[in-house]
Amino acid sequence: MERFNRDSVIAIALLLFCGVLFWSSFDIRTPNYGVLSPATWPRVVIGVIIFLSLIYLAQSLRGDPETETLEKSDREPGFRGWIKYWRNPLWCFALFFAYLSLLPVLGMLIDGILFVYVLMGVLGGWDGKKPLVHGFIAVIAIGSMWSLFTFGLDVMLPPGMFMGHF
Amino acid sequence: MVIDNVLGALDVLANGHAFLLMAVGVAAGLIAGAIPGFTIAMAVVLTLPFTFNMPPHLGLATMVSVLVGGLSGGLMAGILTGIPGTPSSVATTFDGFPMARNGEPGLALGIGVWSSFCGGIISAVLLMTMAPQLAQIGLEFNPWGYFMLVIFALTITASLAGKNMVKGLIAGALGLLVRTVGEDEAAGMARFDFGSDGLLGGFDFIAVLIGLFAFSQLLNDVRDPEKAKKSLTQQSNMQVRIEHRRAIAEILKRWQIVIRSSLIGVFTGILPGAGGSIANILAYDQAKKASKYPEKFGTGIPDGIIAPESSNNAVEGGALIILMALGIPGDVTAAIMLGALLMHDVVPGPTFITDEPVLAYSIFISFFIATFMMIGLQSIMLKVFVRVTKVPMYVLASIILGFCGIGVFALQNVTFDLWTLLWFGILGFTMRHFGFPLAPMILGVVLGNIAELNLARALAINSDLTPFFTRPWSLFFMIVAGFSALFPLFQGHRVKEKFWTLFYLPAACFAVSLPLFMMGGIPRTVLAMVLIAYGAYQLWRRRQNGWRFEAKENTP
Repeated sequence: MERFNRDSVIAIALLLFCGVLFWSSFDIRTPNYGVLSPATWPRVVIGVIIFLSLIYLAQSLRGDPETETLEKSDREPGFRGWIKYWRNPLWCFALFFAYLSLLPVLGMLIDGILFVYVLMGVLGGWDGKKPLVHGFIAVIAIGSMWSLFTFGLDVMLPPGMFMGHF
Repeated sequence: MVIDNVLGALDVLANGHAFLLMAVGVAAGLIAGAIPGFTIAMAVVLTLPFTFNMPPHLGLATMVSVLVGGLSGGLMAGILTGIPGTPSSVATTFDGFPMARNGEPGLALGIGVWSSFCGGIISAVLLMTMAPQLAQIGLEFNPWGYFMLVIFALTITASLAGKNMVKGLIAGALGLLVRTVGEDEAAGMARFDFGSDGLLGGFDFIAVLIGLFAFSQLLNDVRDPEKAKKSLTQQSNMQVRIEHRRAIAEILKRWQIVIRSSLIGVFTGILPGAGGSIANILAYDQAKKASKYPEKFGTGIPDGIIAPESSNNAVEGGALIILMALGIPGDVTAAIMLGALLMHDVVPGPTFITDEPVLAYSIFISFFIATFMMIGLQSIMLKVFVRVTKVPMYVLASIILGFCGIGVFALQNVTFDLWTLLWFGILGFTMRHFGFPLAPMILGVVLGNIAELNLARALAINSDLTPFFTRPWSLFFMIVAGFSALFPLFQGHRVKEKFWTLFYLPAACFAVSLPLFMMGGIPRTVLAMVLIAYGAYQLWRRRQNGWRFEAKENTP
């Protein structure tokens, strides 16, 4: 029953998403040249997704075996169970978000090292010598990659507010 | 002419710098392919940022090397640990792991390595000979044909999602939609920018690919906190020496399996969407069916390693044939290669080999050289692999996520690309979880512009839609797309012995023969007649059988 609901919700979400995009496709300006309007192709694609989403919704409402594809989940019920089950990916998203937000301040080198270090700690734990080992790995890995791009490939990586002074 | 092109390609590749880059590429590919959870596509896509500042021939040679290494790397994990490094080496474990457990890991590895080598060389030869010929056919395509070819590629990729066909098609269409964000190429008008400068520039599709494929895969790998902390193997002493001589002798005794499996690999690769993950199982199955001792398969016999390893290395040759001849990627890794070509302002298509002969032949030659390098480096990388297997997954994932950040930024020096990476990483992870295949979406992202531009060209020539049905190639791809879309339904209903399934194959033969007749020329007319005769024969057999499938046909 849970699977059935989940597929229906995804189909409805897709339909809503397509509705928003279809609506905003009317904001696309049409120039007075060319045969194919810039809005035509996106509308065709959106139309196809709407059609397919309706089939998907119908399948989920009928409870077709084709739609029952999700793996059996071993997670505990409730919000806490959900958080526990998705803990690691959620940490990855959150830390990457923080990494991107701090990039203009810390720069690619410091921010990158911090990101890898904290992520390793969160995923692997902070016990014993791990903080030291993780720190070493983060500095070597990101430091070498940063050096390769900066000095080897002449790519200007964001220096940040601290490194920008040097 | 061919000799000139080969010499031209050798001129740009036969130097220490190129060899070093290729060796590093093969070595990196071998390790990436060997680590379960890290796919070849992921290794190739992560190589892209490094090649950005290189000349196109060097960049592509490096990526081809990673690809060749990755294809061969999967066998190390499969044979030594029983866990396939990549989906394309799943069947290798069926006999490779038992052989290793029976005390012959060196022989198992040797057979795997040399089978990979043979498969790679056979597909490289076919790549060099078939791609230019296929490109000649590609020159016949007009915008209607090209547009329908893209639709066919997306449909067949989605149909390979099997029971998830609708999800596959949705994923493919979402990929097309992603490419519509930003200024359109034909008129330069803003689309779906919602007032954001970042969105106005559109999503960088390399960032999208890395997000969808690599980022989401890494999150998947660390999803289980316990598994994330474990290393691939706890074995402290895993010293193996590859037995080259015995392996070569075993392979030579079974040369038919090598040839057959390599051909299966090449033709699976040519088919858009079908990759090594299908080819290795198909080749293993065929080897078992053709064997005089099928009951021994799974106990650790050389035949069971030769078949999958020859086929999975041959797949990329096939995928590159269709990419270089028509500009349509045969699988996800070829789609990334297409991205690499576009990044270097090279647009593959039927005229690619004639317009850029040195670059095209440098891809062919690098495929050859990388295959030879793979043999030499396998023994060395085996030792590295043993060390890497001791590193916990969370450490590898954290480092690679860090690399993703630097690599994606380096592509265009735009911070918005990093946000693209994050959002598409989340999207890819969510799609994986909900059972949406990513391959059609990636193909949609890569092919979206090609489809729209050809549609615009077609309508600029003739605003009428009838040429889509009256032009032979367009009609051909439309029919094939239609039948491939129906294929999963056919498979499902055939098991239930639904009446209409009796007519699927004959109808497909008759329908495809129509555009072949329209194309004219003796070979195609003959082919059309053969198809009609085959369709009629199938109908006759079903009628003889009382409008039922024969028992043999019903066995999967």
